[in-house]
Amino acid sequence: MDSDEEDFVFFGTPIEREEDSISRKKKAIAESSGQLRTLPAWKQEVRDDEGRRRFHGAFTGGYSAGYYNTVGSKEGISLCWNYNAPVMDLIINRHAVSVNFKNECVGWAPQTFVSSRKSRAEFKEQNILNFLDDDEKADLEGRFLGTSSQFDTFGSTAAEIARKQAEKEQKQRPSIIPGPAPDELVIPATESVGVKLLLKMGWSRGRSIKDSHTDALYDARRQARRAFIAFSTDDTKVKVTESERTKDDIQNFPEQSVNDDAQSSKITPVYVLNSKQDLYGLGFDPYKHAPEFREMKRSRLSSKTGPGHSKNFSTRDSLFGLKSGKAAPGFGIGALEELGAEDEDVYATGYEFEETYVQEEGEEPSVLTLENPKKKDQKEHGNLPGFKVTSNSDYKMERFEAPLIPKDFVPHHAFSGPREINRQNYEVPPPDVPPPEDSNLKLLIEGVANLVAKCGKLYEDLSREKNRSNQLFNFLSGGTGHDYYARKLWEAQQKCNDQTRVQLDGKMPPGVQRLTAESRGQILGEKPLEKTFEDPSSSVSSKDIQLQYNLVDTFTKSESFSELSEFEKPFKDDPAKQERFEQFIKAKYKGGLRSGSSSLAGNMSEAARAQERLSFEAAADAIEKRKQSRGSKFSTPSSMDFIPGGVMEFTSGTVEPTKDQPVVDFKEKKLCPKREEFQWRPSPLLCKRFDLVDPYMGKPAPAPRIRSKMDTLIFTSDSVKGTKVEEPVTAKKDISVLQQPANKDITKSIAENETEEEVEVENIERPVDLYKAIFSDDSDDEVEDNNIMKVENQEKKAEVANNTLSRLRAGDFLKSLGKELGIEVPPDTPYPTQKSGKDAPQRETVNEYAKPDIMNGENNMVSLKHDLPQDQGGPSKDDTGYGHMLDNRNIKTKGTSISDGKSKSSKSNGEKYEDDRKVKSPLVSNQNHRSSSEEDRSRKRSIKLDREKYDGYKKTKTPSTHRLDYRSSSSSEEDRSRKRSRHHRHRRHGVESDSSSDDERDRRSSRSKGRREKSSREKSNGSKKHSKHHKHGKHESPSRSSHYRVDKENSYSRKEKRRRE
Amino acid sequence: MSVEDLPQKEVNVLKGHEGGVLAARFNSDGNYILSCGKDRTIRLWNPHRGIHIKTYKSHGREVRDVHVTSDNSKLCSCGGDRQVFYWDVATGRVIRKFRGHDGEVNGVKFNEYSSVVVSAGYDQSLRAWDCRSHSTEPIQIIDTFADSVMSVCLTKTEIIGGSVDGTVRTFDMRIGREISDSFGQPVNCISMSNDGNCILAGCLDSTVRLLDRTTGELLQEYKGHTNKSYKLDCCLTNTDAHVTGGSEDGFVYFWDLVDASVVSKFKAHASVVTSVSYHPKDNCMITSSVDGTISVWKT
Repeated sequence: MDSDEEDFVFFGTPIEREEDSISRKKKAIAESSGQLRTLPAWKQEVRDDEGRRRFHGAFTGGYSAGYYNTVGSKEGISLCWNYNAPVMDLIINRHAVSVNFKNECVGWAPQTFVSSRKSRAEFKEQNILNFLDDDEKADLEGRFLGTSSQFDTFGSTAAEIARKQAEKEQKQRPSIIPGPAPDELVIPATESVGVKLLLKMGWSRGRSIKDSHTDALYDARRQARRAFIAFSTDDTKVKVTESERTKDDIQNFPEQSVNDDAQSSKITPVYVLNSKQDLYGLGFDPYKHAPEFREMKRSRLSSKTGPGHSKNFSTRDSLFGLKSGKAAPGFGIGALEELGAEDEDVYATGYEFEETYVQEEGEEPSVLTLENPKKKDQKEHGNLPGFKVTSNSDYKMERFEAPLIPKDFVPHHAFSGPREINRQNYEVPPPDVPPPEDSNLKLLIEGVANLVAKCGKLYEDLSREKNRSNQLFNFLSGGTGHDYYARKLWEAQQKCNDQTRVQLDGKMPPGVQRLTAESRGQILGEKPLEKTFEDPSSSVSSKDIQLQYNLVDTFTKSESFSELSEFEKPFKDDPAKQERFEQFIKAKYKGGLRSGSSSLAGNMSEAARAQERLSFEAAADAIEKRKQSRGSKFSTPSSMDFIPGGVMEFTSGTVEPTKDQPVVDFKEKKLCPKREEFQWRPSPLLCKRFDLVDPYMGKPAPAPRIRSKMDTLIFTSDSVKGTKVEEPVTAKKDISVLQQPANKDITKSIAENETEEEVEVENIERPVDLYKAIFSDDSDDEVEDNNIMKVENQEKKAEVANNTLSRLRAGDFLKSLGKELGIEVPPDTPYPTQKSGKDAPQRETVNEYAKPDIMNGENNMVSLKHDLPQDQGGPSKDDTGYGHMLDNRNIKTKGTSISDGKSKSSKSNGEKYEDDRKVKSPLVSNQNHRSSSEEDRSRKRSIKLDREKYDGYKKTKTPSTHRLDYRSSSSSEEDRSRKRSRHHRHRRHGVESDSSSDDERDRRSSRSKGRREKSSREKSNGSKKHSKHHKHGKHESPSRSSHYRVDKENSYSRKEKRRRE
Repeated sequence: MSVEDLPQKEVNVLKGHEGGVLAARFNSDGNYILSCGKDRTIRLWNPHRGIHIKTYKSHGREVRDVHVTSDNSKLCSCGGDRQVFYWDVATGRVIRKFRGHDGEVNGVKFNEYSSVVVSAGYDQSLRAWDCRSHSTEPIQIIDTFADSVMSVCLTKTEIIGGSVDGTVRTFDMRIGREISDSFGQPVNCISMSNDGNCILAGCLDSTVRLLDRTTGELLQEYKGHTNKSYKLDCCLTNTDAHVTGGSEDGFVYFWDLVDASVVSKFKAHASVVTSVSYHPKDNCMITSSVDGTISVWKT
């Protein structure tokens, strides 16, 4: 293509000539026909309508700007040229290169792309000179600071000036080598002061500074050394050559001195003669302490460098290696420390080197070549100069037989890995199967699983044996429900593992009792805090005992039970039974596994036997507890009362609070620290930061650890509580529970503690949300009495509760077992599974209870309401905030009422209930009566919605984490606050000023009734968000765990009650 | 090491803290010390020349503990403001603040690579904070303690915490295990022996106890001093031959490691000796006190 060729010619041409423009014009016309458009983009030219090229002429400016500011390399300049050339802005590097190639601008490579990601801040250092024109630079020339030549000791200024001069010259007559002249080529024109001084002292250029007679001295030393070497090597030949050489030396002596002078004149500017060839740091001598090896290395090097290198160098080195380091001054003393270094003048060696070089050259070229191969030969054998190879070597490689491995050796080492990692977490758990439909069977299975987990596999075998005929126990031998059984057994075993670990706590000697906050406080002489409900230590110890109790089946009890005092004979009226009981006790404390039933009761039915056993267990338990409680000032007769019918349940809490622990014991006893081990999972990042391998790497997330502390047993039940707490059980039910004969141990014990400390309870700040979670739904439930959804919920919850509780409390199992076996279980649940239909009559009773204390409750209320406006400072805009406030108040009251509720006194029950009602729902109740049915319906609808949502929450919950628990409670909270917001909305509408009386409020609420109706939906939505927000804040606030613990206790017992319903 | 070699001669008294000094610690090579106190400052000193070098101010409450990396480039400190501060030594600026403890932070330590700070808090937890990333969330929270954690020690592979619940808990990262040694007495301060085999635990019953780490055995008890209400430090000497600790009456005690006899005691301060720290190599010791001074002791 013709036009193409022309294009290339014009590439890089600075300015277009006039005549070209004519032809261009023609061309432009030709191109307008479209001929050139077919060209690739980078070949096209930009022209004006007259056919002239555009975008050219940036050559002068482009150079420096491109070089300094943009391009970054010398090579890039040409790129810059191209870029400025008319070719076009579309050209990219590669294309430009090819173009240039054709133009024969060969010789640069495009700079390779270097990612600037790592070296971000690499900027070209710019100084003012980059931006100055030449004339400006010239102006500046004289004004830079520098050492004046007068004081130019080291000649640096002179050198600088010289270089500048050279630069100038270079510009005037461009040389072949582009760029500034290398510094090395520019020699300063003036002498340094040192040279001047030397010159004044009589030194002439090209002469060595050395004393002349040092030469002689040095030669003498050299001779001696040679002789030494010659003697030490056993080689006669060497000797001969040496002697020859000495002769030569003497002969050539005069010649040498002449040579010396001649040579030295050449060598004045001495640079490093033997260049640095290794990779060691400057001045580092790897052979400092082993100079023998230097020789070897040098020979190796010289042989490598081969003939291209000066042969004389290498040979001389190998011969006189001891001197070899003295190549040049400025190498450091380290390099000179050799055999004879101490007697040599290390600082004078700079010029000596050349002398020896010259000498040898003159002396003995032929000899050297002769002996050279032999010497090298020796070197190859690894011989050091002065050493020879021995003919016989004492050293022999000693070989040892490998130790004989015993035949029965198993090459397996058990590393102490993460604790129980295999057994617990990574054993494939049996699939989680749905429980069988038959709830009886389910309970039975769970019970048996628990027992098997506790007592071992043997029990399973035994019971299978025994119950082969029994249809109910089919699941043991693979019948219906076997899968479920396997699953339950696995779960129970897991739990049991945790418990056994925990159980060690309970087993520890009395002196080393776990240090509780209280005992510690006593040690420290602290004034005990105001008691709340029950101090956590008591709960801990009670758990201890319970666990101990749980394990008496399997462990020997040291305590002898031989003397059963009078009151320890619970079956006095029935001697046979008493006998059986004693046998039972004996068997129990003798340890080991009991056979299911004693032989004495052979004629009894299965059911009767089971029941009896239940009662025995209970009796033994009671006796044991009484023993423990003996001597403690706390007598808890109510819990001690043993009812042969088995009313007593095998739960924790019967044990008296261990308030009067023998604290003094700590001091007397020499403690031996007790060691426990737990599994602990470090986070992967932590391991990484500690540069360790994560022991749990690649393993599934652990099942949330059941913390090994006693109190956390209660924690584990939280998830259940979470569901339970939100359960919209009507308040009446609660009351009904409370009405029940308080035969539950835990209830009792708590109640006892509480009744004691009822008074202080009010003072104590409690985590708000838990109380809300427990109580705040009460008021709403009144409204939703007849909601059908609720029934379903309750059933579900009862189920969940049953599940978890039966799992948690192993002691409970016996009872359930008994129940399932068809034994009539003592009437400790007089209200089996109440449904909301039965609410009405109960409410009556509640009210009855409440009556005596209504006044009391109201008083409370009034005071509360007085408080309210003061805190709030008038009606608040933010109704949730308001609600929150109010709720806090409520909670405080509830704090009281809880304790009341727990106590057996029905009075306080009533009070509590009344309180709740008063605080929370004066409006609602009013409304209930007044509001139209329409309104009612709409509210129910919304409630239903809530409830559905709520159920959703529940389903997602797994009953093992207590983190989830928070979530659940938050959801319930949300729910509740939504409900609450309804109330508050009402209130807000109504309450314009601070008011404290109920009546007034009622009136107002009735006034605002109409408005309320229409806006209820949206507002509740809005406030939902708010309440969420509030909740977060609350959870973040620190709260002492003891409070939690107490709360948990409460809710736990509450739950239990509900379960019973 | 004989008794004469114990540092009992006061060579320098470092004054500068206003109010009590709560902790004083040598750096890893023993050339400098860091102290922190109720005046909300951390101070860097040269104990051998008795010079105050630098003051680090940023804490909002008293500073309870301070630790410096082995390369002396970073500090960490903690205190009553519930935060752990991560400092640059040279500039004196706070690089990061780690928030998260729900209570005062009693102790703080770097790990070997200075990549993690582990803090012990009144909120019954140990928290590990990452110095490498920019995250201010703890890497891990260890909350198995039943009461306030008073002191923390780190080895290459373990985190050890001493708590008021009477336990010293060792968290081994290699095998993923927690080992809890219960003394039955509130543990005030723990420190490792130089060979790493023992833990010295100062308990609040005026007893210092020596625990064998591998077996969990109580090797010795050291008594004689008073420690009932303050958080006092105790440590082993550089040769592990003696145990030293402060007392609430201003004395400093030296016990023989093996037979637990008090080999020396002297009045070091006018008031409670809060902290003792022993030079890693030399026979030199620093003590700090509630009276606001830090004393440097040499033989």
